[in-house]
Amino acid sequence: MTDGDLIARVLSREDQHAFAELVRRYQSPVRTFLARMARGDAHLADDLAQETFLKAWRKLHTYRGTARFSTWLFGIAYNKFRSVARQRKELALEDVDDAPVEAAQSATASRNELRLDLTEALKQLHSSERAAIVLCCQNGLSHEEASQVLDCPLGTVKTNVLRGKEKLKRRLIGYQDYEST
Amino acid sequence: MSPPEEKDPLDVLLREQSAYVNDDGFTGRVIAKLPRRRRTWLQPVLLLGATAIGSTLALWWLPWESLPPLDASAVLSLNSQVLWPWMMVLLVAGSLVWAALAAIQWDD
Repeated sequence: MTDGDLIARVLSREDQHAFAELVRRYQSPVRTFLARMARGDAHLADDLAQETFLKAWRKLHTYRGTARFSTWLFGIAYNKFRSVARQRKELALEDVDDAPVEAAQSATASRNELRLDLTEALKQLHSSERAAIVLCCQNGLSHEEASQVLDCPLGTVKTNVLRGKEKLKRRLIGYQDYEST
Repeated sequence: MSPPEEKDPLDVLLREQSAYVNDDGFTGRVIAKLPRRRRTWLQPVLLLGATAIGSTLALWWLPWESLPPLDASAVLSLNSQVLWPWMMVLLVAGSLVWAALAAIQWDD
């Protein structure tokens, strides 16, 4: 059954089973996205994800189907994150200093080490760069879709992706060796 | 829909990092928190009903016989003794039309 079929069932009959299927399909990307945005705070991410799906249930009639359902959901999730980030200093939008990630001291970092370091390096990015990278590079959204989710111009998304990736490469000490292999 | 710069090794690393998160009861928790089934038809029906009753009462009680005749000369001369009663009628009719439209286009 397609997303459209499930959405139609939810709208016409308030079918909770159909909505549960939608939640099952998208819980993983939404929770992962929010966990990245919340700098790894899984509890906060799950709370925000829950609020995201509850709002999706309430506002499903406003979904026009012009964008993918996942794009619409990411938009709600990002707004939830932003409203919490305004109140919590630890989630502030500021960049952490530009020092390389400490865990990657070895000049020839292994792939696994790089993955761990990448998690840390992502946490240190400015939240708008992190959001753009997680959406475009990890969730496969196009720049246009990411600009819808983040409610910012297309050029800003492209700049944030490029700038964020440059920072990641700079911060991952072993990345140069990995890239050359 | 494919992400940009697919050949960038960093993109490969980022892709590899986005592992599937097991549900672990998450869906159940969301469904348990859904609000009870809403009777979405009830409020617009109430509004439409109230509008119908209001229209009937307006037709019944408005002093149609005592309304002054409305002609172009009365309008152009801005005769308040003619215009005021008709403005009240327009106000009542406008309110009823607005309520009916709101009921038809109800969207919670």
